[in-house]
Amino acid sequence: MLETRGLGRSFGALQAVADVSFGVEAGELRAVIGPNGAGKTTLFHLISGLLAPSAGRVLFRGDDVTALAAPARCRRGISRTFQITSIFPELSVLENTRIAVQLKAGGSFRLVGGRSVLDASERRARESLMFLGLADRADEPASTLPHGDQRLLEIAMAVAQEPALLLLDEPTQGLAPDDTAATVAVIRQVAHEQKLTIILVEHDMDVVFDLADRISVLHFGRLIAEGTPAEIRASADVQKAYLGGLD
Amino acid sequence: MSPSRVLGAAALVALALGPWVLARHQLSLLTDLLISGLFAMSLDLILGYTGMLSFGHAAYFGLGAYASALVLLEFAQPVPVALAAGMLLAGAVAVPVGWLSTRSTGVYFAMLTLAFAQFLYTVAYKWRSLTGGSDGIAGVPKTELFWGGPSLASSQAFYLLAAACVVLSLLICRAIVRSPFGRALQAIRENERRFTSLGRDPRPFKLVVFVIAAVFAGLAGALFAPFRGFASPEVMFWVFSGQGLMMVTIGGIGTLIGPILGAMVFILLQEILSSYTEHWMIFTGVVFVLIVVFLPGGLVGTARRLGVRG
Repeated sequence: MLETRGLGRSFGALQAVADVSFGVEAGELRAVIGPNGAGKTTLFHLISGLLAPSAGRVLFRGDDVTALAAPARCRRGISRTFQITSIFPELSVLENTRIAVQLKAGGSFRLVGGRSVLDASERRARESLMFLGLADRADEPASTLPHGDQRLLEIAMAVAQEPALLLLDEPTQGLAPDDTAATVAVIRQVAHEQKLTIILVEHDMDVVFDLADRISVLHFGRLIAEGTPAEIRASADVQKAYLGGLD
Repeated sequence: MSPSRVLGAAALVALALGPWVLARHQLSLLTDLLISGLFAMSLDLILGYTGMLSFGHAAYFGLGAYASALVLLEFAQPVPVALAAGMLLAGAVAVPVGWLSTRSTGVYFAMLTLAFAQFLYTVAYKWRSLTGGSDGIAGVPKTELFWGGPSLASSQAFYLLAAACVVLSLLICRAIVRSPFGRALQAIRENERRFTSLGRDPRPFKLVVFVIAAVFAGLAGALFAPFRGFASPEVMFWVFSGQGLMMVTIGGIGTLIGPILGAMVFILLQEILSSYTEHWMIFTGVVFVLIVVFLPGGLVGTARRLGVRG
């Protein structure tokens, strides 16, 4: 589904991501973990196309998409959420989700009318909101939702686009334990029912070990380990770099 | 019928009755208000719906005015031909300006649009052989409605044409902001980065709406020239761009009808205050500040908050 080869990105002297080569199989739920500043979000930007790499390439479903900008990669099937909630605050919950569908599906340059575009995208958006449990808040401005629901809305927007690959950047960040549990359940449901390939960046180790099929560990921008949750738990390198304080 | 529909219908009837109930100078003032309203409404497309702060919108009003003046004076064509010429010239110039300006955002976008507008102002000022320099082009006639058709020279006839143009423009702009394209504009306004990550480059959208806004500003200018009988560099000066921003803000950003009302309030204030004092700008400024501070969302935004739903 996704493969990176020698992917790197530097900001001045700082090498945020260096020589990252990894592959994610279709249907897999992969977690990427690592301490703060390990380059996880930068890696997401490189995969989704918001940042251009300084080295290496990105292959998606066998095609080299390194040269494509973020919008084109999204249209090919890579949707994402952001670590810091990124929504359209003054638009309604429904419109946030609907516009996500419309932008991917096309018809956005219909200047007058376009009823069919609006109707079709609204249907799909409502399905997605129903799936995420946000249907009864569809008409509220997104900015009035509590933080946890805003995180869910981001996922709803991405899921509504029916991507092949979903990138979730710390979906449980700042959530209360109850909300975290609900979000984990939603992600599991999305992964199973929609048969999506998911890459998840996450700090909460309970969430990671609960959800992930495989885990990749980043440290100072480099991939230092990869394996099943059990293997990662057992790895001495990972313990030293990251998990030492937790167990 | 919803209250806003009732209000809209009432406004339409009032506009249509204008020529039969208003005195000539009142009708003339109303024409002026409508033309300024059209200008402000066109600015709202980019400012209110797309979140692009253009500080050079007067340039397109001015281009419309000059094109219209030349077509009427030099070629004696019917007024609609002049209007089409004004819209065409404004839109054509907006393509390269918008293409360059939309490469940047925020203050840089504002500065670029301002710079281009001042450049066009200077061209109008210096190109004496074409534009008449600082004197402008005077004696622009209100010709006929179509070849061999009724004359628009009377203030009633011209008023009806202007009112029809403004109402039609409002309806078109309303259809645009409710279309898939218009919805995309509002998403760009809310969060450009998110928009990008959802599958579309915002720049083509911004360029298209910039050109559309310029075309409607051009129409306003093209009406202005025969209405006032002249086109001069002042209508392209940055002060008029700034006044446009004030009109939009007073009436209500992102409401279309609000900026039309805002323009009316602005011009009426100017009319009334300037008959008492030459320092009317101070008082207009005070009113502007009061509205921004105490009526956020402008007149229409405030009315909607108080329960008149649109």
